[in-house]
Amino acid sequence: MSEAPENVRLIGGEMLLWSDASCATDWGDAALELVRRLLPAGGRVLLAGPHPPALVDEVAAHAATVATLLRSYPDACALAERLPRLEVYCGDLAAFTAGAAYDLVLALDGLQRTHSAEAPAPSWRGALAVLAGAVAPGGRLVLAVRNDLGVDRFVEARPGDREGSDAQWAPHGFDPTYPNGVGALGGELESAGLAVEWRYSAYPGHEAPRALLAREALDLPEALMVPLSGCGGDQVLVADPLHLTRLAFSHGLGEDLAPLWLTVASRPPADGARGAGDGQRLPLGLVEDGTVVREIARAGEEWVTRRLPDGAAQPVPAGRLVEEVLVEACVREDVRAVRELLAGVAAWVEAGGDVTAAADSLVWDGERFEAVTPGPAPAEIPSERAVFSRIAWRFAVRLLAAGHHHPWPWPQDPVRLALTLCDMAGRPCDQADLDRGRKLDAELGRPAELGQAAPTYRDLIGARERLADQLTAALARVARLETRLTYRERELTKARAKLKRARQRATAYRRTLGSQLSRRLTRRLARPRAVARKVLRRLSG
Amino acid sequence: MDESNHWYGHSRILSGYCGLPDDTPKRIQGFLQHGWNYLHGFPPNDHWCSPGYPRFIWSDVLRRRGWSMGRRGHYLIGAPWIYLLHQEPGLGRIPEAERRGTIWYPFHGWEKSSVHGDHAKLAAEIREVEQGPVTVCLYWLEFANPAIRRAYRSAGFRVICHGERGSRWDGNGRDFLRGQLTELRRHRRVASNRLGSALFYGASVGCDIAVYGDPMQYEDERPEYGGTARRMRLWPELHGVEVDRAQAAEVARRELGFDYQATPEELVRMFGWKRVGVA
Repeated sequence: MSEAPENVRLIGGEMLLWSDASCATDWGDAALELVRRLLPAGGRVLLAGPHPPALVDEVAAHAATVATLLRSYPDACALAERLPRLEVYCGDLAAFTAGAAYDLVLALDGLQRTHSAEAPAPSWRGALAVLAGAVAPGGRLVLAVRNDLGVDRFVEARPGDREGSDAQWAPHGFDPTYPNGVGALGGELESAGLAVEWRYSAYPGHEAPRALLAREALDLPEALMVPLSGCGGDQVLVADPLHLTRLAFSHGLGEDLAPLWLTVASRPPADGARGAGDGQRLPLGLVEDGTVVREIARAGEEWVTRRLPDGAAQPVPAGRLVEEVLVEACVREDVRAVRELLAGVAAWVEAGGDVTAAADSLVWDGERFEAVTPGPAPAEIPSERAVFSRIAWRFAVRLLAAGHHHPWPWPQDPVRLALTLCDMAGRPCDQADLDRGRKLDAELGRPAELGQAAPTYRDLIGARERLADQLTAALARVARLETRLTYRERELTKARAKLKRARQRATAYRRTLGSQLSRRLTRRLARPRAVARKVLRRLSG
Repeated sequence: MDESNHWYGHSRILSGYCGLPDDTPKRIQGFLQHGWNYLHGFPPNDHWCSPGYPRFIWSDVLRRRGWSMGRRGHYLIGAPWIYLLHQEPGLGRIPEAERRGTIWYPFHGWEKSSVHGDHAKLAAEIREVEQGPVTVCLYWLEFANPAIRRAYRSAGFRVICHGERGSRWDGNGRDFLRGQLTELRRHRRVASNRLGSALFYGASVGCDIAVYGDPMQYEDERPEYGGTARRMRLWPELHGVEVDRAQAAEVARRELGFDYQATPEELVRMFGWKRVGVA
């Protein structure tokens, strides 16, 4: 074990051969924005569990005292070396005793990755109690809790959490204190002496949340749904995430089925003192789309979005998402509707429509098209063909990735489909146009990508993975038996050689002595059992 | 399966527990943890433990650590020592008041790696600390070295060796643990310069334990274990000249896996000692 940097304190339970760096919740700029607004000026901050480097840097740059608690020894050393001013506690949360309490405790990765393999896993409630104990009066705890019944669970074909990964020596599914809903979560926080101030639902998935919506922002217009339902590349889908998320919201289950909840709770201040959260309003919603973060707010009855840091408020247009309308038409093989709508979009682009819009960020109210969140145009204005071919490409990829039925006979070829869509709109494009469209899509951030695998079924995959495991084990057995066999054969060869040498020696003796005696002797020696029988017979007779 | 399954007479003890003759122990279809360890029950380079065969380990913390390091197929049965105690409740037992002195186990190397340290200095330290008679028990490799034997003998200690750890084919290791049990039950204290199996065995049969003196170094000590510093952090209460007996017995209970003792029938099935028809 190498020497730890000076600012690392080993508190017990540290994991030497472990890293959480690649599996911690990958929060993006939306969470960063929220944390920025929560940071107390000149306060003490604790980051419990692994956090993305950008977030740690932001906190380290603005808080007076920053401590982190990590269970992984290599992670702790790397962080301590990178930020020498940080106090890095390395070990199990249960072994952590805060000297002075903290004004802000951030546990944006939840409590799962705060206990180590060195001790039996504590209950979720037990871990929360330790963390809540570190919050100063008037201070805040920001805690993420993964929803076991999140919408992302329904979308993913593979078993939850890749059952049985190295991190799951004590899966939390068997912990009865783990909150089984937002209500239970609030109750747990209150029991721990904290008052819930804000409760956010995080979308689109628990691994990389990109949008935070407060309870008051859950009756969102459809136009804002898309960023909530992105799917990462490492997913095997069984359902269309956009469709399912839209249904969850329209059924009023946006909070109950959120993949992750982020709660901001505070410890009541000592008598007469002012709490950290007094009079502070946090955003209703923060949505990250590509490289852009937008704040969602209400202006009277209307929803508005504001591009951060200093964009002006823009109303959210009413109408249906073009992508949804197109998917519906594809599902019922209504190619005429597809042609007309695409032609309409193409005409809108040619009439100077927003070049950054695509079918998934464009609404149609039956007459007019409008971009949901018009972004800044790229430095070089792309050609209309490139813009439209990007729209066609993006839709083709998303349609195939979501696994919807469609009238075209090639299920896995988005290039061909995109070119066909351009033809259907009466704007024929060639491969070069399409390449420019794809390039534009990549430049604008959040490019559409086709997943590796086609939608498939949970049990089929389970069976396949089981078989793969069995095969690995069987191959390992074969390899081992081969090694043993080789070893035994070598031994056998040696024994045979020995036997051969002994025989040769015996023959040589016979030849040298050449007498009757030697022949009888060697024959007798070669047949010891017969000799023994003869001797016995003679003795008994 | 693997040679180490038969070391220290482990497979013979388990055969005996299962009511089978122990002259030629059968092959165990799996890998038996052969010594106390604070990684995952096996050495860091355990590629020889082929997946698909169970890893028979002593305690749950090894399972959790092993799991986090990508190992699967752990099967907790506790240490063979607990099966020996089960079979030999009275072996070597003498009245409690007659137990005398300390049995001292200097940390040992093994057939492929030796240990570096100053045995004479360690002997002097033992002399200084221990009040009663001292028996020093060496591993056979160190016992074969006259210089090391002399270092302890000249300090007035009795020097013994529990023998080679043996193999499946020879009877060498057969009575290793029985001999150790007899010795431990004769002594009042067991001590070493490193926490190890012998100390936990001793604590489980009522010895006081102590860990002191230069912990010595392997020639190529693996960093995965985290070294002496990690042992000190994990078990600070077990290090020192005087250690709380009840606490030591409790840790020994956990580390030797007394709660995981399996039934003979279960072991017979798990070790592949029962004939099964192939469908």
